[in-house]
Amino acid sequence: MATPVLKRATRRELHSPRTAAAATVLVVVAIAAVYAGVEMVLHLLRLDPLLVTPGAALDGAAALPDIEAKPAVIAAAVVVAIAGLVLIWLALTPGRRPRHRLDMPPHSVVVDNAVIASSSAEHIRRELDLPRGAVVVGVGHRSADVTVRPVPGQSVDREGLRAVLKGELARYGLPAGMSVRARVMRPDEENRER
Amino acid sequence: MNATNRGLNRTVLFLVGVALVAIGATTVAAQLWPAAADAWRATASNTMAWMRQADEATRIVEGTTLSWMAVALVALLLVVVAVVVVLIARLGGGRTSVLLREEAADGAQGAVTIRDDFASDAIRHSLAGHDEILASRVTAHRIRGTDMLHVSVTARQNTSPADAARTVTGLVDNLSVLTGREMPTLVSIHAGIRARLASETPRVN
Repeated sequence: MATPVLKRATRRELHSPRTAAAATVLVVVAIAAVYAGVEMVLHLLRLDPLLVTPGAALDGAAALPDIEAKPAVIAAAVVVAIAGLVLIWLALTPGRRPRHRLDMPPHSVVVDNAVIASSSAEHIRRELDLPRGAVVVGVGHRSADVTVRPVPGQSVDREGLRAVLKGELARYGLPAGMSVRARVMRPDEENRER
Repeated sequence: MNATNRGLNRTVLFLVGVALVAIGATTVAAQLWPAAADAWRATASNTMAWMRQADEATRIVEGTTLSWMAVALVALLLVVVAVVVVLIARLGGGRTSVLLREEAADGAQGAVTIRDDFASDAIRHSLAGHDEILASRVTAHRIRGTDMLHVSVTARQNTSPADAARTVTGLVDNLSVLTGREMPTLVSIHAGIRARLASETPRVN
């Protein structure tokens, strides 16, 4: 993380740009504005409206409290308000992508969580001599968890398992502050868990 | 990764979101709460009266619907559309094709320009020899006047991200020795459909 450029680029890789949402909203706004403009021009030229004349639309909006179909109007308004809340939520939340930054100066390395998970699962599987598919690792922003399902007769120490995952994550250069949880499922437990 | 103005994206989302919440909330209030309904009716009739009056007062040709008021409204809508088109056009961008440029020194023949496809070809070609890297993409970016390189790779499943990162950064270091210039480099290692479909890293090499 030597240069401000890399710092900036890394931050941009770790967070969603919200471009898709913004582009969608902009396109909808543009369509609405174009439609309103077309209706106004048609009205000015005294041609028939596409759907409704501007005056009739305003009258309709003014009469909204006295409309018969109250539940329908309320439902539509609630949907609009919820869409607005979703947009505000998109605007204000950090929008972190499921990725981690590895410490590798002078370069900057960003890795998908899935890559970290599959690699550390394979490492644990070999370290503890477990069968294929017996190790499941999940990696989140601030935590990682591992679940192993040993074959009958094989014993796996939970603390040891935790230490193996912790060591592997540290080896990748992930922040040491990540919380690591381990779970060992006994073979007979499998049915109860599902 | 590109030069999209993310603050602008979020500002657009926030403003439109607040507008939608305001419309939805006032509509619901006007339906359920008599006082709000009265306020809605009063505001609506005042606005309509004002608009009618403005329409009459700014009439351009008597006896037609044409008025400066209507013209102004259409112009306002056109401005909205223009702003939106400009905003959409500004999404993306920031890629550059020139990776580095060496100005001619005294007595030299001329300027030397290294384009991004040179770096891209060099790195991709070297990565093709690495079995654990399934796909790679190299792009040059110009961020606030500084050039940087972005190497994006898809790693085979079960590949250690640390090893993959070391492989890529090693190649980038070789390239910077070759060009004689340190280039800030961002390496991103991805999982994805490509990685899931390819076979896993063999246990014995």
